[in-house]
Amino acid sequence: MATASETAATDRAPRRGPAVLLALPTFLWYVGFLILPLVVLGVMSVGERSPNGGYTPAFTLDQYANLGSRITPLTNTLGLAALNTVICLLVAFPVAYVLALKVRGSWKLVLVALVIVPFWTSFLIRTYAWMTLLGSNGVPRILGWIGFGDIQLLNTPFAVSLGIVYNYLPLMVLPIYVSLERLDRSFLEASRDLGAGPIATLRQIVLPLAAPGILSGIVLVFIPIMGEYLIPILLGGGKTYFLGNALADLFLQSRNWPFGSALASVFVVGMVVLVAGYLAVSRRLVRAGRETSLV
Amino acid sequence: MTNRRDPDLRRDPEAIMRLAIARRLSRRHFLVAAGTGMGALALAACAPTPAGTAGTSAAPGGGGDLGDTLNLATWPNYHDQAVLDAFTASTGVAINVGVYGSTEEMEAKIRAGNSGIDVVVPSNYAIEGWVADSLIEPLDYAQLPNFKKADWNATFMDQAFDKGNTHSIPKNWGTTGIAYRSSKVTEEIKTWEQFFDLAGTTYEGKALIVDHQISSFGSAAVAMGYSLNTIDPTEMEAVEAMLTALKPKLFAISSDVQPPLRALDTWLSVAWTGDGVQVGRDNEDARYVVADDGGELWIDSYTVAADAPHKAAAYAFLDYILQPEQAAAETEFCLFPHANDKATELVAEDVRTNEVIYPPADKLAALEYAVNATYNSPERAEAWARIKASA
Repeated sequence: MATASETAATDRAPRRGPAVLLALPTFLWYVGFLILPLVVLGVMSVGERSPNGGYTPAFTLDQYANLGSRITPLTNTLGLAALNTVICLLVAFPVAYVLALKVRGSWKLVLVALVIVPFWTSFLIRTYAWMTLLGSNGVPRILGWIGFGDIQLLNTPFAVSLGIVYNYLPLMVLPIYVSLERLDRSFLEASRDLGAGPIATLRQIVLPLAAPGILSGIVLVFIPIMGEYLIPILLGGGKTYFLGNALADLFLQSRNWPFGSALASVFVVGMVVLVAGYLAVSRRLVRAGRETSLV
Repeated sequence: MTNRRDPDLRRDPEAIMRLAIARRLSRRHFLVAAGTGMGALALAACAPTPAGTAGTSAAPGGGGDLGDTLNLATWPNYHDQAVLDAFTASTGVAINVGVYGSTEEMEAKIRAGNSGIDVVVPSNYAIEGWVADSLIEPLDYAQLPNFKKADWNATFMDQAFDKGNTHSIPKNWGTTGIAYRSSKVTEEIKTWEQFFDLAGTTYEGKALIVDHQISSFGSAAVAMGYSLNTIDPTEMEAVEAMLTALKPKLFAISSDVQPPLRALDTWLSVAWTGDGVQVGRDNEDARYVVADDGGELWIDSYTVAADAPHKAAAYAFLDYILQPEQAAAETEFCLFPHANDKATELVAEDVRTNEVIYPPADKLAALEYAVNATYNSPERAEAWARIKASA
């Protein structure tokens, strides 16, 4: 045993130098652009706002004690993020299912490409386009012709949800598509041969096998929505107030960097916990999947 | 038993596409791509503008010690490009114009330090705090030989926020007023009281207030008979209650005033002078009113950042652009009034006599400057945040 591990060690030893060198840029990158900014954030969050705005060094937990004053944006954001993630999922799953299992040949390529095409245009331009569509000279005017009264679409929670679902949908469709695409069709045939109806097959075969894709889709969509800032401003008219807007206001309008840092720190920790939970669950799912396929 | 065959990439283009899509969207890649973008932004923000790339434009007239770059932090559509170009042509100093949507954004940059910004154009209420925190330097009038104090309108000079103009010289000034479309709004709006009343009743869903604590909260305070600058707890509570009740009836809380007013998404709006003039120029029914019950008067002033990397160029630029001819050209371009009377005399008559741009003196008498205490009041900032967060 000892000799075996020694040989392994000597085998590895000459490779360590170049490996460290190769890892160095990544390491420096993470230290410079991830660790250090987070340290700055933490240090600032225990400071005080100087009388004219900005930051004065101090050690106080006042900023954290004051977090209760931002509970409304937090609950707003959590609620809307959950709601819009669910809408994204409900819209994306059928789309991904059809793309992966029903469409064949070159059509599939075209349709999958079309899911990505919106990403080629700037997010800002797409959102401004929605402003025109939802403004009083857009869809509401057409609705007016059909006989609906003065309907306001722009600057409503509906417009915010529409903008969010529209922008984040591809991030939900593609992971689900990828997991369904890998699905072995013989499972579906076996399920049918064994007498399961379409709903039973969906529930017992398709959904469990698509679970890792669904899970990564949820995380890919939920986390950016939690940090959303522009859509509430452009399509919500500043009336729907997200955590991102609360943060921007703290750093710009109030120039209260310590309080903004405290709020951001709590937000970052929350998201890390969420991602850790996702990794744990998805690892279990993958393991379960491997065991199923072995059986 | 494998549950899936390996795709033969050479013969199956579909599999390549599939892999490309999967790879394109793998989380790691996504994060790295996002990180790269932000990292590049951060680098760009940190990197000093290339001051050392000399030789391309030698200074013909202005002397060799000005350098070849000037970084100006200012407002959108505020400068006549021809005036800036003429400065570059005579001195060899190229001007990088950085456009900011608010004084607060400018402050975020210069407070962070090492911003590379030379000349900043903040609003009056920020200057006291910037001086106290040494973000801007005392002006060296010896380097401004063309500046003649006698030419300037006393109403806008030597104000409480900068006694003796030791740190700032006005660029343009203006008002915060009421813009409305008279084709839709049948009443003649004259006061803030009327504006906030109509916004919550007759014209529900058609009014906009700007996303700015000083202008919107302040104007609402004026409507209720308080000072624009109120930081009295009871008064602020009353204003907060009024605005919280009004918020669901508003079209938006947004500083992008013009697009909805032009599209008739909004019929009445809190607005600044420039919005009033520009929308009025293109729409006959658009009105801009300086309210009779008071409101905000403001001045954007030229200041020199304490850590300005191109100080000589900064002074040369101020000395140049504050001359009456240049100031007049700038005023005709941006359509905000100027505080230099000699410049105003040179401004085209239709601009000079336009009462939206240059309101009569009796209108101005009721207005107030927002002060440092208002700008920096944590209680007012929190009240505004609560209003924006309310349902």
